[in-house]
Amino acid sequence: MRYFKILCTIMIVTIFFWSLKASAGISGSKHDFHSASWNTNGEICQPCHTPHNASTVEKPLWNHQLSTQSFTVYTSTTTDATIGAPSASSKLCLSCHDGVTAIDNFGGRTDGVITMGSVGTGSGNLGTALTNDHPVSFAYDAALFAADAGLKDPASAGISPLLKSGKVECSSCHDVHNTANRSHLLVVSNASSALCLTCHNK
Amino acid sequence: MKIRVILQSLFIILLFLIFFINLNSQRISTTKHNLSSGGSGTIKASSESEICIFCHTPHAAKPRNPLWNRDDPGITYSLYQSTTLHASLGQPDGSSVLCLSCHDGTIALGKVASRSTNITFNSGITTLPSGRSNLGTDLRNDHPISFLYNAALAAANGELRDPSQLSGGVTLSNSKVQCTSCHDSHYSIYPSFLVASTQRSGLCTNCHIRTNWSTASHATSTRTWNGSGTNPWPHTSYTTVQDNACENCHNPHNAVTPVRLLNQSGEENNCISCHNGNAASVNVWNEFASTRTSKHDIASYLGVHDMAESTIPSSKHVECTDCHNPHQAASNSPAATAPNASRLLRGVKGINLSGNAVTNVSYEYEICFKCHSSASWRQQAYITRQIVQTDTRLEFQSNGPSFHPVAAPRGNSEVPSLISPWSSSSYMYCTDCHSSADATSSQKGPHGSIYSPLLKKRYKLTETNGQNNNDATDFALCYTCHDRNTAGKGILQNMSFRYHSSHVVDEGVSCSTCHDSHGISSSQGNSTNNSHLINFNTSIVSAYNGVLRYDDTGVYHGRCTLVCHGKAHDPYTY
Repeated sequence: MRYFKILCTIMIVTIFFWSLKASAGISGSKHDFHSASWNTNGEICQPCHTPHNASTVEKPLWNHQLSTQSFTVYTSTTTDATIGAPSASSKLCLSCHDGVTAIDNFGGRTDGVITMGSVGTGSGNLGTALTNDHPVSFAYDAALFAADAGLKDPASAGISPLLKSGKVECSSCHDVHNTANRSHLLVVSNASSALCLTCHNK
Repeated sequence: MKIRVILQSLFIILLFLIFFINLNSQRISTTKHNLSSGGSGTIKASSESEICIFCHTPHAAKPRNPLWNRDDPGITYSLYQSTTLHASLGQPDGSSVLCLSCHDGTIALGKVASRSTNITFNSGITTLPSGRSNLGTDLRNDHPISFLYNAALAAANGELRDPSQLSGGVTLSNSKVQCTSCHDSHYSIYPSFLVASTQRSGLCTNCHIRTNWSTASHATSTRTWNGSGTNPWPHTSYTTVQDNACENCHNPHNAVTPVRLLNQSGEENNCISCHNGNAASVNVWNEFASTRTSKHDIASYLGVHDMAESTIPSSKHVECTDCHNPHQAASNSPAATAPNASRLLRGVKGINLSGNAVTNVSYEYEICFKCHSSASWRQQAYITRQIVQTDTRLEFQSNGPSFHPVAAPRGNSEVPSLISPWSSSSYMYCTDCHSSADATSSQKGPHGSIYSPLLKKRYKLTETNGQNNNDATDFALCYTCHDRNTAGKGILQNMSFRYHSSHVVDEGVSCSTCHDSHGISSSQGNSTNNSHLINFNTSIVSAYNGVLRYDDTGVYHGRCTLVCHGKAHDPYTY
């Protein structure tokens, strides 16, 4: 019985340290703009959120100008998903990542000039042609699973937490607040393509 | 109590392992296409752990779908070509370009758009190493891709399944055959990422439906290779003819002979690698040995025969496939009877007795007529005769004054020498006389013989005045059907012609001196002067007082006007 207790203790301690390793947060991440020249207040949350007078349309407490761009969505002869215009939280991401909407247009400001396109932030600038980007804002449901043998059952344990209202959104793969401190703010490490293979049955 | 603790401990350890170890049950991870450092193949990255990245990226992908992470090779490839290809081939397109961005060997495997520097590989590998999977930029020796496979193509080809009937895993992409029609890059359920098993050509036969293939020997034989000589199946792991099926002869990639994707160089070598006794039950190649001076010399022609050639070829040549169709040939069982073509000759084109082309011969002689009738380059007269005819088809017409019964029974009751079961109503094959002289062989084919012109047995055509011919072997060929010397029927019993014995035995005259064994055409001869295959050899027999003639004067009676070896027949009657 003593042996049993020691074993359990070792494992609990190991899991504890493992979980510590995985926590990081937005501070210091690529989404931490507190020292950016255009963020005059020097706050971390403000470019996206505000506690008061937030957007009446978008949640959560949205503080950034929304993209007015129309996006060209991904198409492929082998996709079975119905891909609509970016919606829900993906639309919020694109309010910077469209490369057109000024990133300093927040808190009611609309005369900002700094865009992701203008500061050359590389692969983070998706542009308005999303044809070369993984589709978002599509329902990943039983019907899609049935139609595409290359996908896993969305009801399976690893997938359902990633979906937002049953849809794949930017946030299915990306953790905007960097709680896990992974490259590209990924929700799951993509070592061995584990993130891709969460959904793709390849 | 102790056992319970151990079991509980084991259970917790198991949970612990499941928590920490990525139990990777994904299929691509176990294939050669897992190029990551964790891959199981020999070609893998030194440290890159992502699997999908070598082809796909979630953002800023190349224009090609799906979310491609590699450059297009931008190469103009040499495309497959063949005279029997009905498809219109363009440069590789669609997903095939994606495959070629590694498999043409021109772009480094680690050159992906989502990394600023190339992903490095073990052993310093950059581009795909040479080998079966490196197709190069010359695709002439690879199964064609990027062509429209529609009902019109199936109809034009005649031996392709209608694309609406495809099943068994093969799929088209935008109605085109692409690499992905046969290969699924993500799954390796079957070797080489194939979508179906190649055993018994299960993959090939999804599209290719060859007439009579299901009963052809190459689809049904359980023969194995004995390990000697050239491996007939260099690129498969199957060990029987039946299992190798199409791949007995064909290789879909990097084929040694590009046209029709053949395994071996030199047309006949594709056949010989099995039919030399190392896999097939009969050593046919032995019948073409150098000692066989009279033969259909398949090894002396290269690149002349073409599947699309006209039925009467424009250039002289002979290959195995001029007489045999490897997609249809089957064992001669039940044995065919003359004049019907054996199943060994099934599906071969020919020229019928009327001189018209036929797609599938009914009668064996129709194959012979392809070359031995009106071809401009045909064999010239072997023996100089009164009536010269080198179009063999005309010699066997049923309205001729006399002929061996190849195309029609003779109905001649004046042949007492016939050995049963031969009778006046019998048909015979060309190959009853012209075949490999091999008493131990079960093959009847006119492959090669030591007796010219490609005769099954000895037939002495030359003669010397006064030489004794009292030897059964001199005319062994004739004596196969015509009894030599049995009382009451033998040739030398002088029944039909009472001077047979004195001519053949005493004077050393060859049967050939008086008889033209094929026949005499109706346009050149008549039933008075050319019955009984009489058409004198003019190198031996000459005119007497300007007359060289045989006259049939009734049953077993006739008259000869000629000079032979200085002896005038002025005329002689019998």
